[in-house]
Amino acid sequence: MRVEYINPFVESAYNVLTEVLGGEVKRGNLFLKSATKPVLGVAAIVGLAGEVEGRVLFDMSKPTAIKIASVMNAEEMTVLDDLAKATISELANMITAQAVTKLHELGFKFDLTPPALITGDNMEVSDQEVEALIVPMETEHGSVEINVAVRERS
Amino acid sequence: MNIVEQKASKETDKLKKIDFKMVSFTLSGKDYGINILKVKEIRKAGNFTHVPNTPVYVRGVDNLRGDIIPIIDLRIMFNLPAETKEAGGLENIIILRMDELVLGIIVDNIEKVVGISKETIQPPHPIFGDINVKYISGVVENEDRLYIILDVDRIFGYVPPVEERQQIAEVKTLPPMEENPATDKRPSNESVESLDLQFIKETLGTFSGFYATALNQDWLKFHAVEWKTQRQAQGLDFQLTNSEDALEFLKVFPSPYTGRLWDPSDLSILFEHLDFEGTQITVWNPGCAQGYESFSLAVGFLMKYEEKNIKVWANDKDLLSISMAPSLSFPSVPEEYKPFMVETKTGYQFKTELKSKILFEYHDITHMNPFSDLHMIVARDTISFLKPQDQEKIIADFYEKLRVGGYLILGQNEKLSNSAEWKTVEWDDWSIYQKI
Repeated sequence: MRVEYINPFVESAYNVLTEVLGGEVKRGNLFLKSATKPVLGVAAIVGLAGEVEGRVLFDMSKPTAIKIASVMNAEEMTVLDDLAKATISELANMITAQAVTKLHELGFKFDLTPPALITGDNMEVSDQEVEALIVPMETEHGSVEINVAVRERS
Repeated sequence: MNIVEQKASKETDKLKKIDFKMVSFTLSGKDYGINILKVKEIRKAGNFTHVPNTPVYVRGVDNLRGDIIPIIDLRIMFNLPAETKEAGGLENIIILRMDELVLGIIVDNIEKVVGISKETIQPPHPIFGDINVKYISGVVENEDRLYIILDVDRIFGYVPPVEERQQIAEVKTLPPMEENPATDKRPSNESVESLDLQFIKETLGTFSGFYATALNQDWLKFHAVEWKTQRQAQGLDFQLTNSEDALEFLKVFPSPYTGRLWDPSDLSILFEHLDFEGTQITVWNPGCAQGYESFSLAVGFLMKYEEKNIKVWANDKDLLSISMAPSLSFPSVPEEYKPFMVETKTGYQFKTELKSKILFEYHDITHMNPFSDLHMIVARDTISFLKPQDQEKIIADFYEKLRVGGYLILGQNEKLSNSAEWKTVEWDDWSIYQKI
């Protein structure tokens, strides 16, 4: 993963999460992962295309997703319904879009795909020939892992 | 009942409930225990039949009422002092049974059977230095004595995990002298030397993540002797006891121009030895750290081939180092570098044009990557810091990813031993190889 890409993603994840959740957000240590990785339960995926190819995955547990959706909608939610799902997709969109905007300013141009939300138990994600950068974020409502796997088109 | 009394009665309850019994014994003055369910019997015996070519801790075999069982000296196995009995003297033996496996272990003194409550067993603490923590299943206090409970299944490798089996195999192949410094035979000089080297190798791995393999063994052997003489002259212990020692030991390992720009004349001599066909040249530079090497290579290449294009993929898994790489700046640079640089307030920086030829990536080379058909791989002093099994894999990977005629440059002190697939490019003492 190109070094110039790392900061925009970390920064925008931090900014957006702090802004929408209001509380304290802590960033864990970044690391690289290449093997298949378990997904916590709710995963929002945004694809990237253009000079690079890859995807950004936002991974959290179901209770965390419901709590985050509750805060963002300013109403108590108990199930992951359509509104809650749309909210999580929107969160993924906001973070990725802000990162891509920052990258655009640095001269890297790429496009986004609309976010897709996947839920279920015992899921795993594997990437062929791309290692993923994991940005763990600790919020008051639980942890959100941002998993960025992009590579240059060679 | 007040709280104190309640607590006290709870404590006694805990003591009363006995659901674990162990046979207690001593090894060099410390108390140990083994689950009684693993113990078949205890006895005294001596005059074991010696079996050649076994590890030194195997004292021999014994005839237990018609069954031949191996006798293992636990003290030697754990490198504890063992008093040698005169010929015919009897040893204290605990006969263990692990499913079908029956064997005897020699200990100092067998004490008694101690009954305890399982709840009072505490996990082992890593500072029980005598015996590796993985062989201890717990620690328990009883009547003011601290017993270390051994996990005999693990010690004798009864269905051990793969990793341990390897370790046991390693132990077996070592010459006996290395294994048991307590034996009273005079070691020959040669084995002392290999023991020293073995020790240095192991501590280097622990303290600095530098792994001794065929790649760096020549340097290591040579430097270990040098190091020992040097340290002894200074009145210091030659053994590496902490990471500072390990760093000191490795001080002379790095290749020239580590952490700085390469000397332009050396750079052009290097490229005189290399020959590239085609117009688009791809170079992979894993372990590039702050990127000095990557920039130097790009400049060296462009000095020789003005008309060709170069792309350098520079990787490192140290996020901090590589993050700084794209914006390196220098207070002064050699004249030859100047055409590729611009002068800014903070010093000389590389021109955007040159920067665009180098792609710095945060990447761990033990992971997958899409590189292929490369013209050159420069991985100096990088592979030695990978685990031995990864080192082998990466070198095979390098061969795979290079095109025929492509070059591999390793660190000055790293040499490929399997050169059937590689042709050595002779220049000074650089390690340059060409894929055949």
